[in-house]
Amino acid sequence: MAVINVTDGSSCILAIGNTAVNGAIGGVNALEVPFINDITVNASTGVTRYKVLDSSSEKAFTTPSTNQITLNCLVDEDVFFGNAGGTGNKVVNDGLFGASNDKTLVYFEVGFEGSASGDKTISGQGYISGLAPTVSMEQAVWQTPVTIEVDGNLTAGSI
Amino acid sequence: MSKRTDLISQITTNIAAHTSFAINEELPFLSGGIPLYEKNMRTIYVDEQQIAVDELYDTLDGQAVNQTTTTINAYLSVDAKEQLTDIDTVVANLLVARNGIANTIESTSDYETDIVNDVITYTFEYNFITV
Repeated sequence: MAVINVTDGSSCILAIGNTAVNGAIGGVNALEVPFINDITVNASTGVTRYKVLDSSSEKAFTTPSTNQITLNCLVDEDVFFGNAGGTGNKVVNDGLFGASNDKTLVYFEVGFEGSASGDKTISGQGYISGLAPTVSMEQAVWQTPVTIEVDGNLTAGSI
Repeated sequence: MSKRTDLISQITTNIAAHTSFAINEELPFLSGGIPLYEKNMRTIYVDEQQIAVDELYDTLDGQAVNQTTTTINAYLSVDAKEQLTDIDTVVANLLVARNGIANTIESTSDYETDIVNDVITYTFEYNFITV
C-alpha cells in the first residue's frame, strides 16, 4: 500500500489514438500529450434519492456515470496542430484541434504510475472537447484546457 | 545580444540629443576608490546584469517553462549645485529606455537619488522579464 507520487516527471501519462492500440501508453504510434499542468479523471455517477414511509432516511441508487478526462496543458505545436509527417495515428496527424474539429472518436489511456509493466491505468474512448487556447502578456505561453468526453465506460487496467 | 547591450544601445539613442551627457560602455568600477560615474560626471554607466530564473509553468512530465528576470542598474552623477536645465528630460528618457528592449513580457524602471557633498547620483534600476 502506497500513495502514487508523480514527482519524478514520468509517472502521469495521457496517450491518445484513433484506435485502442494507437491510444495505448507505450504504443509505437501513440500520441502522448506533453506539458500537462494538471489532469482529472471524472468518474462521477448520478444519484437518484427517494423517500419511503418506513425509513427516516432517504434511500438512493446511482445512475449512469458522466465520465470525463479534463486537463490543462501548454500548447505544443505538433500535438495541437498535428504532424502531417506523423504515423498511422490519425490523432497524431490531425492534432488535438483537428481531432476536436473533426469530431474524431479517440481512444485514450491515462497512466497513473508510468509506463512500466504492471503500472495502473484507466482507459476508454471519447471525443475531444473544451479546447480554449489562451495567451496574454501576463501568461506568455499558450495554454489550453482539454476535455475528453468519454463515450461509455472507463476501464481500469494495467500496462 | 544581452539585455545590457540592448539597454546601452537604447540609452545611447535616447540621450543623443542631449550633448552634455554621454554613455560609457565600461562597467562602473572603482578607479582610485571612486566609482567611474562620480569621477566622470554626466556620463552614464550601466552595471553588469543580474539574472534570476524562476519556474513559470510546472508540468507533470517535468518539462518546466522558466521565466528569466534580468536586473540592470545604471548610474549617473551630476553637479548638485548647478543642475543642468535638461536633467529632467534626460532622466525621463533614461526611464523609458526600457521600452526599446524587445522580447520581454514585462519591463519596469525606476530610480532613486543620493546626494553626497555636492554630487547627486541617480541610480536607475531596470527589470526585464522574458520567457
